[in-house]
Amino acid sequence: MNTWSFCVAALLLGVLAEAQAAPFAYITNQGSADVSVIDLASQQVVATVGVGKSPAGVVASSRAGKVFVSNPDSRSISVIDMRGQRVVGTLDAGDGPVGLDASPDGLQVFAADWYANRLLVFDAGATLARQAPVASIAVGHAPAGVAAHSDNNTVFVAERDDDSVAAVGVRERRVLSRVKVGSHPFALLLDAPRHRLYALNVMSDDVSVIDTDTLKVTATVKVGKAPYGAALADGGALIYVTNQHDDSVSVIDAQSLTLLRTLNGFGYPEGVASHGDKVYVVNWMDDNVSVLDAASGKELRHIATGKNSRGFGAFIGEPASGLPPLP
Amino acid sequence: MPMQTTFANRWITPLLALSVLTVVPLTSSAHGPTRQKVIEKITINAPPAAVWAKVKNFDALKDWHPAIAESPASQGNTIGSVRSLKLKGGGELTETLEGYDDAAMKYSYRAKDGGALPVTNYTSTLIVTGSGNQSVVEWRGAFYRGHPGNEPPPEQNDDAAVKAITGVYQGGLANLKKLVEGS
Repeated sequence: MNTWSFCVAALLLGVLAEAQAAPFAYITNQGSADVSVIDLASQQVVATVGVGKSPAGVVASSRAGKVFVSNPDSRSISVIDMRGQRVVGTLDAGDGPVGLDASPDGLQVFAADWYANRLLVFDAGATLARQAPVASIAVGHAPAGVAAHSDNNTVFVAERDDDSVAAVGVRERRVLSRVKVGSHPFALLLDAPRHRLYALNVMSDDVSVIDTDTLKVTATVKVGKAPYGAALADGGALIYVTNQHDDSVSVIDAQSLTLLRTLNGFGYPEGVASHGDKVYVVNWMDDNVSVLDAASGKELRHIATGKNSRGFGAFIGEPASGLPPLP
Repeated sequence: MPMQTTFANRWITPLLALSVLTVVPLTSSAHGPTRQKVIEKITINAPPAAVWAKVKNFDALKDWHPAIAESPASQGNTIGSVRSLKLKGGGELTETLEGYDDAAMKYSYRAKDGGALPVTNYTSTLIVTGSGNQSVVEWRGAFYRGHPGNEPPPEQNDDAAVKAITGVYQGGLANLKKLVEGS
């Protein structure tokens, strides 16, 4: 191969790598034990990756270049490489992992162990078979949603059966403080620029707004029945909340914390995430994802996924984010 | 070999089942992490309005479901209305109306935990669609298994829960079709 053709080949490979680097949505399908990988550029499912039993929680860590999927019925976490869209490792995850998050630096992954009432801490770089957690920290009852703070140490955990949220210190290996919220908090959403954490209370049908500096509830926003997932959208101006028992989505103005509108026609919506000007809502009952225009809430299309799709967590990631991959 | 009566059988052949309708020990609102669902549909050769007329009243379940002996509702079709189901084979269920849309021919309800089905956190929707002389009735439910812990006994695991709800829906829809088409 001469120098010119080498250069052309390298250029083509570069273009291909770029095309591969579009953001992806990783939708956990509880009923089909797999993950639907949606290319957000083409708005199509480009891969279906088999994982463990009843996959529920997910976090796509762009910084780690990996996606972590909790399999409560296999008691494991599947690790998917974002570039190859294949499973590269499995973590041993207690008695029933549910909610997941990754530290902003991409070095650690956290899992709520639902039955054993603890937060499991994993090395995000682990690729060995059945890798064990590096730490196990006792928390309250039925831990569900997890949100890693921007300080790379605090991890918030929704303690569903205690109606509280714990702030866990990972270095300290213990709960540093705790705040009472509404009834049965399940999902958590961090709003780092506003120093806020949102706790979605499934039984009281509202969102507790927590000041992350003081760990006090500063407001409560009423939403629809059984809120299960939340995401910031439209540059952080809006909060989208899925309401499972209403088949609806509440859109909240993040600044004023007022309910702007309620969107209808979803099917037991659970996971929600946003990228660019779009919002992706996962319909558990309908086995698909609704694509919405973030600003208006208008539905643009549906994308068919696997069975009993959940997408519980931050399911969108972008492997070529300009950050070097971790060793 | 002792006779085994499944929950599904109980709903389909309620008279056989007196023996198993004892206690389903449940902790209120506790459940595992994996929700189950059942969607059953049936096509009925009748106009949607005629089918909806048969099922639209929240307290009319006894008129079309073969396993239900009584189904009085506290406030008719008003949101919050509570219907108290008595099964022909024994056992009870308490369900609260959570959504009602006459124009869309659809209603939704939530069951109180601890009733005569091996499920928890059970919500359900009945909807009639179609046009002309053909209707489709869809009955769909979302629920967790009866046992909230990680090691459920077989009669309270995910499969048992799905089987029981499937039996309820299939039995009801088949009978509804028979009643409507036969009349």
